[in-house]
Amino acid sequence: MFSTELVVQTFISGVMIGVLYALMALGITFIYSIMRMINWAMGEFYMIGSYLQYMLVAFLLGPDLWWLAIPISAAGVFAFGLVVQWGLIKPIFKKPPEARDDYATVVTLALLLLLRSLATGLAGPNQFTPGSNLPIVMVGPMPMAGARVAAFVFALVALALFYGVLRYSWYGLALRATSQSRVGVQTAGIDVLGIDRVAFGIGVALAGLAGALLAPVFLVFPTNGLITTVKGFEIVVIGGLGSIPGALIAGILLGLIESFGAAFIDSAYQNIYGFALVLLILAFKPTGLFGERGREA
Amino acid sequence: MRKQGFFLAAAVAAALSATCLPVQAQDIGIGLIVPLSPPGDPTGGQLIRRGAEMGIDAVNNAGGVLGGRKFKLYVEDSQGKPEAGVAAYRRLVSEDKVVFVPGFFHSSVAIAANEVAKDMGVPTMSLQASAAEITSKHYETAFRTHAVDQVRVATFMELIKKKGFKRISMIAETTDYGIGIADETIAQAKKVGGLEVQKIAFDRSVTDLTPQLLQVKAFKPDLVINIGVGQPCDLIIDQATTIGLLPNTPMIVSYDAPARPQFWKLHEKNGAGIYFIAYYSPKTPLSDIGKSFAAAYTEKYKEDPVYGALNGYGAIQIIAQAINAAKSTDSKALIKTLETGTFKSWPDAPVTFPRAEGVYWHNWVPPVLILHYTKPMQDWKDAEVEVQYSAPAAK
Repeated sequence: MFSTELVVQTFISGVMIGVLYALMALGITFIYSIMRMINWAMGEFYMIGSYLQYMLVAFLLGPDLWWLAIPISAAGVFAFGLVVQWGLIKPIFKKPPEARDDYATVVTLALLLLLRSLATGLAGPNQFTPGSNLPIVMVGPMPMAGARVAAFVFALVALALFYGVLRYSWYGLALRATSQSRVGVQTAGIDVLGIDRVAFGIGVALAGLAGALLAPVFLVFPTNGLITTVKGFEIVVIGGLGSIPGALIAGILLGLIESFGAAFIDSAYQNIYGFALVLLILAFKPTGLFGERGREA
Repeated sequence: MRKQGFFLAAAVAAALSATCLPVQAQDIGIGLIVPLSPPGDPTGGQLIRRGAEMGIDAVNNAGGVLGGRKFKLYVEDSQGKPEAGVAAYRRLVSEDKVVFVPGFFHSSVAIAANEVAKDMGVPTMSLQASAAEITSKHYETAFRTHAVDQVRVATFMELIKKKGFKRISMIAETTDYGIGIADETIAQAKKVGGLEVQKIAFDRSVTDLTPQLLQVKAFKPDLVINIGVGQPCDLIIDQATTIGLLPNTPMIVSYDAPARPQFWKLHEKNGAGIYFIAYYSPKTPLSDIGKSFAAAYTEKYKEDPVYGALNGYGAIQIIAQAINAAKSTDSKALIKTLETGTFKSWPDAPVTFPRAEGVYWHNWVPPVLILHYTKPMQDWKDAEVEVQYSAPAAK
């Protein structure tokens, strides 16, 4: 029953889904690290990315140019994110109300419901798939859909690119500085609201990218972002809020624990294993594996 | 004070005039609870809704019921969630004052709503929910025009016998529907004997079913029974293809999703070879009601009707006949009439709801078929009929 082949296959499956989970979570943790707010509508940006990918592939570019549709979908979500930030989020930060976090929560929850209802109204409740011409490939002993392998590679490249920009560019320096002290960067003459705008756009574009990459694998429908939000927050708690390496490692950890739990304990409780890990982390390291304890004056 | 008195008098006058309206002028509310958004199966819900809406139009265009009263349809979205279904039932009965609530695609929603219906008194009719519990509890208010778990599984067994399958793997969602069918399959397989059965359960919200399917593959089954509804059903087909389970191992889908026009849009490359349960095929003889509906549906939607739409239409026709026969919209009178009468619906067979034993209580069961796609992009009308099974006569 527990053959070596099944163990290896389960491991590969866990790592691959884990990296994709990490991409989903990265946007949440990035926006939080810059703006100190949680975007509860993150899954809906994933959903928009998947719909854009479907529409581009099905009606404009065709299945052969699926790879071109991916950056276009992510860019589309980025642009939409800029509009959302300008219209709904910026006013909260420009003249901050007393309970800014509460306002941000209410605004993003309302946005979640609005976008989900709009998707159902405009595209109907049915499932779609952009399809894929990529063949099934062997990853070790594990046959995998070409689209899933492509999503995995794209996700790794996107994570590396994101890390590189953040680490080695001037703009990345400004973003990192903002995450450390919003007041500090303002004294250095940096437009912090401009940084917010770009950070929000990049954060939601990461979710949109995940949506576009996974559209042929997990189908396109109005509530497909729900699982993204749930997994994203699990990863943020496990890895530590605001930690990018934490998101990657926690994503892989979550993917592995779910895969092994489903394969070797009981498949009916696949979602429970992740939550058990969350509880364990909260009990022994409440800041997450790579999170930092907040400093209070 | 004088102003308040005036408004009070106006309100009383309005209330009196409303109650004094001739009975014939009042619409009769019919509720419909179906999934119209995920995590339910919105396509299934939409098809039932189409049929029910056309049923309402047909009844009203024919002069209504009780000498001219028209039907008015109130549609509620259950989202496939029991709690949403219960809230919808309460709203329909308390606020919209409906006299009957057909619909119910997901068994867990029907079971939950029936618990409330038995106290509130307005009858329900499950049109595509198959869990035994829906009718086996013998509630006065619970009716059904759909195949029960036992019949569905007996149909699986006919295919298993016909093809000589010995190792059966089930991948089932953890809902009343999924677990009900999986447990019934295990029970019937024991009776048949000589079969090895594997049951793998999964949570409906899980999108990556690779770990579960790897276990199925390791079991080396002769047949995989796909007991997912809506999106999980499609994900199982796709992910089973990826790991090489399909098309090498035959798969049967536990309900009629592959008959829907959407199926080949999602499974252009991996839909061939799939077996699926159906409750109607264009080869099934239709009644006059069924024939006129099929023609009108095809003209309106430019596609052939499938079972969900036929059953939605049929339910409204049955309710209209029951109201006319009872000469009343009173729940108790309607229940009595349904239990004792014979009704016409879409199939060319009489429909009855006797107080029968076990799961056949208040339950009319259509014949169940297993269809087989033998070619890619095959029209479901041309799918091969592998098995046709009729439920034993109710006692």
